[in-house]
Amino acid sequence: MTAAEQPVGAEPRKRLHPLSPLLNGAKSIAVIVAALSWQTLSQVGLERFALVVGVLAVAVVIFSVVGWLNTGYHVVGRELRIQDGLLWRRNRAIPLDRLQAVELRRPLLAQLTGLAELRLEVVGGSKTEAPLAYLTVREAAALRERLLALAGRTPGSDPAAAGPAAAAPALERPLFRVSNRDLLISQLLTPQAFLLPIGVAFVVMQFVLEGSWTFVGIASTVTAMAGVVLQPARRVLQDWDFRLARDPDGRLAVRYGLVETRSQIVPLHRVQSIGVTWPLLWRVQRWLHLRLDIAGYAGPQSGDGKRSDRLLPVGAFEAGRLLVWEVLPGVDLATLATVPPPSRARWLHPFTFRTMGIGMTPEVFVARSGLLTREMTLVPYARLQSVRVIQGPIQRLLGLASVYADTAGGRSGVAEDRDLHEAWWLAEQLSGRARAARGPAPLRTATIADPHTRPVPGAGAPGDVSALPAGDASAESAPPAGSDPSLGAAGTGVTSTGSAPPAGSGPSLGAAGSPTEAAGPFAEAADAPTEAANPPASSPAEAASPPTGAASPPTGAASPPAEAADAPARAANAPTISPAEAASPPTGAADAPAGAAGSRDGEPGDGDGDDAFWRRPRETLS
Amino acid sequence: MTESSAPASPTPAGEPPTPFAAAEASVAAGAPVIAGSPAAAGFPAGGPVSALEPWPDTVEWRPVSRSLITVELINRASWVVVLLAGCTAGWVLTEFWAWPAAMAAVLIFAVWRSIVTVRAVKAWGYAERDNDLLVRHGLVIRRLSIVPYARMQFVDVTAGPLERAFHLATVQLHTASAASDAKIPGLPPDEAARLRDRLTALGEDRAEGL
Repeated sequence: MTAAEQPVGAEPRKRLHPLSPLLNGAKSIAVIVAALSWQTLSQVGLERFALVVGVLAVAVVIFSVVGWLNTGYHVVGRELRIQDGLLWRRNRAIPLDRLQAVELRRPLLAQLTGLAELRLEVVGGSKTEAPLAYLTVREAAALRERLLALAGRTPGSDPAAAGPAAAAPALERPLFRVSNRDLLISQLLTPQAFLLPIGVAFVVMQFVLEGSWTFVGIASTVTAMAGVVLQPARRVLQDWDFRLARDPDGRLAVRYGLVETRSQIVPLHRVQSIGVTWPLLWRVQRWLHLRLDIAGYAGPQSGDGKRSDRLLPVGAFEAGRLLVWEVLPGVDLATLATVPPPSRARWLHPFTFRTMGIGMTPEVFVARSGLLTREMTLVPYARLQSVRVIQGPIQRLLGLASVYADTAGGRSGVAEDRDLHEAWWLAEQLSGRARAARGPAPLRTATIADPHTRPVPGAGAPGDVSALPAGDASAESAPPAGSDPSLGAAGTGVTSTGSAPPAGSGPSLGAAGSPTEAAGPFAEAADAPTEAANPPASSPAEAASPPTGAASPPTGAASPPAEAADAPARAANAPTISPAEAASPPTGAADAPAGAAGSRDGEPGDGDGDDAFWRRPRETLS
Repeated sequence: MTESSAPASPTPAGEPPTPFAAAEASVAAGAPVIAGSPAAAGFPAGGPVSALEPWPDTVEWRPVSRSLITVELINRASWVVVLLAGCTAGWVLTEFWAWPAAMAAVLIFAVWRSIVTVRAVKAWGYAERDNDLLVRHGLVIRRLSIVPYARMQFVDVTAGPLERAFHLATVQLHTASAASDAKIPGLPPDEAARLRDRLTALGEDRAEGL
């Protein structure tokens, strides 16, 4: 509290903006009025009602002011400390390396007064930890930048790694914008919107029949209906003017909202999984919805509106494809082939069987399901927390088992009802690939055995390096090969063939070199610092000299063909490039994406053996 | 739907006849699943069949203590006694025919569950591999969890009064995912302590929580 208690050198505690108690009070008053309800208004009359509300409002504001006086925050080292509470004092220290995402929210009143609320998402919090309400927009943005900068830096990493990023001009690269017209139409195409006229008709009918046209009756009915049926309207307001961008450090910046604007910044390596949904009615328009699972946001049980987990509220397939590519570099939605479960699983899923399936690409595990609302979950191997195999009694009779790929985001990728052998194989594959994607590098402790695999500052993301142990040298050179199809596609326009090379096909892939009309949306994707920048850093030969390796993609990014050819099949199991790496500050390889990708076109080693497996009865989405 | 599907459609001629062959090929080339293990090769060929015995050649399963059977049975018996007492009281008070029937049902259920318990405890097992901890359990619903040490958030060691009386403890490995399910009951205290220390050491060594 006092200066004496603070550690030496710590910055002074800061207060929130002086207007905060008023704004908080206003929120409470709204809640109080809602709680008093129309019923009370009719009983006590308008004057008394106003009086009660007025008294409560004053009380609330006084309470808020005292609370405000007791609230403060400051950054100490790599922690954000927040003190608050009136009766129960709370003193929280939030370790910033656990920071998952930062969101800046501006409700209507805050917009009018030029204030903003800063919300931090930390793992393990069942709710948003530490909402700092309210700060001025400038203050909030500065604090957010500072927190993110602190969060992105690991203690072991060289401060120089952050240097170029900080020096880079603070320009965001816009990725995508959802047209408000699409948003409106999409929300009209929901069951609730279809039910709305029925609801209105019902209410009108009731009043006509009963003939009781009281103001209170109508008002409360309308309020009740608004709560339930107007969810589409709420969504429209929430997702209004939805914009996505990459900030200079490669993080994802999401902005949306009309009445309450939200601006969320997510470091890409914090993305636990992506959910793709095709609601039944949207399929007319071939629209989809993308969901971003981040560890900080609690599980699915929390209210729909409060969650900030949208990557794309509505969009055409191409848009979804572009965004998935941005968030999980190397993953092309159009080429995700899935394999259905064995046909005896029909006994368990007579209706949904046709849409079930799983697939594995070098980067992600894919599971899809659902009949009316089709869903697909993409789980990057690097984010896997654990793998479970579960077999119920009926499954045992049929020789089936389900495999769960758990992430910290609360949702698991589920391979339901696979053949038992396949389930074991899948579990083994998943854990093996997760390990490879994670890399052995213990990042916090400095006990890295092999200097060659040490994360090189500036080349990979400081937080996430997926290099294999030196003993696995051939596999280390493999990531280029493994991720090659999609990379080749990046430079040349995405082709489905690119990411699903025939297994038997020998050295080269003609298709990857041929541009298609898909080049349009993905031309931008090629600019992104995709993993082109990184494989060289993890290959032992080049690890020693990252600047050259990373800066000259034509030589660096293309691993020696001979070497890659040695391990064509290993490519499938090679460490996948985690999004974090791709999100790392571009080191220069990104400056020449075409060169990087182009040089890899003819690279051998595309025949990932087991990816061929997944192409059995190939089903892509398109 | 998208233009990309046009050049796609490889359904390549060179595709191997069965998916299994392809998988086998990759395994033969040395899938880094478990270093030097023929485990993955088990899938294509006629590998493991039992849901509780995956990769029998490479994984050395360790059982939990048999004393856990006693603990579980005592636990169950206490519940049965409570239920039976309730039923008896009801019978004495109302003399309704359903009470003895309920008692019989409780007894039959208890006997059946006890048999299942005995088998289930025998089925419970864990294995420490180089990089992950395997835990399997369950008979009716069989579960296997593979939890990498690197993902460990914290380790719980708990022992209830009954467990303590029989010198048992439960070790649970927690990850950032709530769904992860790696709980090993019925460990002797020294084994529990060893496992805890080993898990903690390995977790620290490879820590990458998220």
